[in-house]
Amino acid sequence: MSIQKILLEFEPKLENLLRVLKEINKQEKYISESDCLKVAGYFSLPLARVFSLASFFDLMNTRPVKKKIIRVCSGGPCTMKRSFEIIRQIEMLLKIEMGNDSHPKVKLETMSCLGLCDQGPVMMIDEQVFEKVRPETVDDIILDYL
Amino acid sequence: MEIVTKNWEKINPLDINTYIRSGGYEALRKVIRETPLKVVSEIKRSGLRGRSGAGFPTGEKWEISAKIVADQKFIICNLDESEPGVYKDRIIAEKNPHQIIEGLLIGAYAIGAKRAFIYINGHYKKPAEILKIALEQAREKEFVGRGIMGSSIDVEIEIFSGAGAYICGEENALINSIEGKRGEPRLKPPHPPVSGLFGKPTIVNNAETLANVPYIIKRGADVYSKIGPSLSPGTKLFLLEGAVKNKGIFEVPLGTTAEDLIFNSLYGGGMEDGKEFWFAQIGGASGRLMPRGKLDQLLIYGPSEYPIGAGSILVVDKMADIKDLLFSWADFFHRESCGKCVPCREGTYRLWEIAKWLKNNDLKERDRENIEDILWTLSNTTFCPLGNFAAVAWSDAISMFSEEIFGK
Repeated sequence: MSIQKILLEFEPKLENLLRVLKEINKQEKYISESDCLKVAGYFSLPLARVFSLASFFDLMNTRPVKKKIIRVCSGGPCTMKRSFEIIRQIEMLLKIEMGNDSHPKVKLETMSCLGLCDQGPVMMIDEQVFEKVRPETVDDIILDYL
Repeated sequence: MEIVTKNWEKINPLDINTYIRSGGYEALRKVIRETPLKVVSEIKRSGLRGRSGAGFPTGEKWEISAKIVADQKFIICNLDESEPGVYKDRIIAEKNPHQIIEGLLIGAYAIGAKRAFIYINGHYKKPAEILKIALEQAREKEFVGRGIMGSSIDVEIEIFSGAGAYICGEENALINSIEGKRGEPRLKPPHPPVSGLFGKPTIVNNAETLANVPYIIKRGADVYSKIGPSLSPGTKLFLLEGAVKNKGIFEVPLGTTAEDLIFNSLYGGGMEDGKEFWFAQIGGASGRLMPRGKLDQLLIYGPSEYPIGAGSILVVDKMADIKDLLFSWADFFHRESCGKCVPCREGTYRLWEIAKWLKNNDLKERDRENIEDILWTLSNTTFCPLGNFAAVAWSDAISMFSEEIFGK
């Protein structure tokens, strides 16, 4: 769907700005500067205002995502359920380092709580959420999904 | 004692009739026959306090907005919870969404808002879907929309889904993000009940707070105010995580002790086999560390040595690595700092850096001195309370476990 089509679904009211950006991000996987320009024009807002919003939130990207991103929750409950051992396991398996962006295809990060503490430890690969991950089984998940 | 969790087994969250059969929407029916100010005074007399952390009396908050004359007012249900260890609002929405909707409608009527929002965490896809279906069914039954239950009262409810930011649980940041601005806190005053969303009087209430409202209206403020201690009455959902045997959600009257919650067989049931209690963190990543000797403290809202926050209790045993936990706290706050004020933006980042070195056993003497400076700065100079929160657990850990952290 083109940006114009998305815009037509929303009235240019301020409370729709975040909704529009989320919809663009959902369809295009990221929000480009030219998308922001079109949105800014539609809402009669400065480009900086739109881009500052797009770049603020975790769930939106302002650049194309070219790598698989593996995220492991580092919250207290997941930490108590050995999420750092999971991170070490992934580091060894893929020979990467958490937070380091040197691998051409994969990036490993920690992430904030998803509110699934009762199902922890929690891991995400791109959009897919994995619950009750264990250091012993994480290799299989990673190799399946990469 | 069950108020929020009552009838959870009997209710199908996708069928409004099961909620109505268990007495649902009776409180709303009762309320629209009374004057808004009477509803406000009932909530005020009940002593209900906000369940998201600060514990501000809900009735007093409502009263401020209710008394202001404005062409538009708003009420927002805060379902953005993203504190590590807290998922109670998600479970309420999944188990009994109409309880939140009914509370929100009563609030809207009490303050005179025609438009209400449910601001839900962007990661909460399933609960958002359940709430959407619940809203559609409530609209069909004429509980939501124009002319509620045949009266002349109109309340529209919209679901607004966030995009992943801890700071948006703070009411001004939440309001900013609905207005299409970065989720950054605003300078107070004016407080939202006076000037909030689009400059209009706005009430932001936590989902659990609102879920208590139908009960108070149905049973009366006097019944509610007698549950638990008089300054902080009612029940609270607590979340037990960590090295405790029974993990999960437990509803108990406020004023229960942490000892009772963790060790009573009705709730936590003691420590996991072979594990020995070290300390408990009360209130999520921003919470204080409670040692064994303080377990008899009452868990309440209001002045307390150990604020209960949103109700999470992380039980830590002696086998746990404190350096992992220090990293966990610093990692969370450095990622979630909104960047508006320098002390928090820089402080949380430097603390995270130090936490990394500490974890890798690569800490220099100079870093150790810096920790105290950073913690002081975070505790005293940040723009909003979330910056102070970033220093709480670290400060406690440094003063209590310096040997375990830095060696002898």
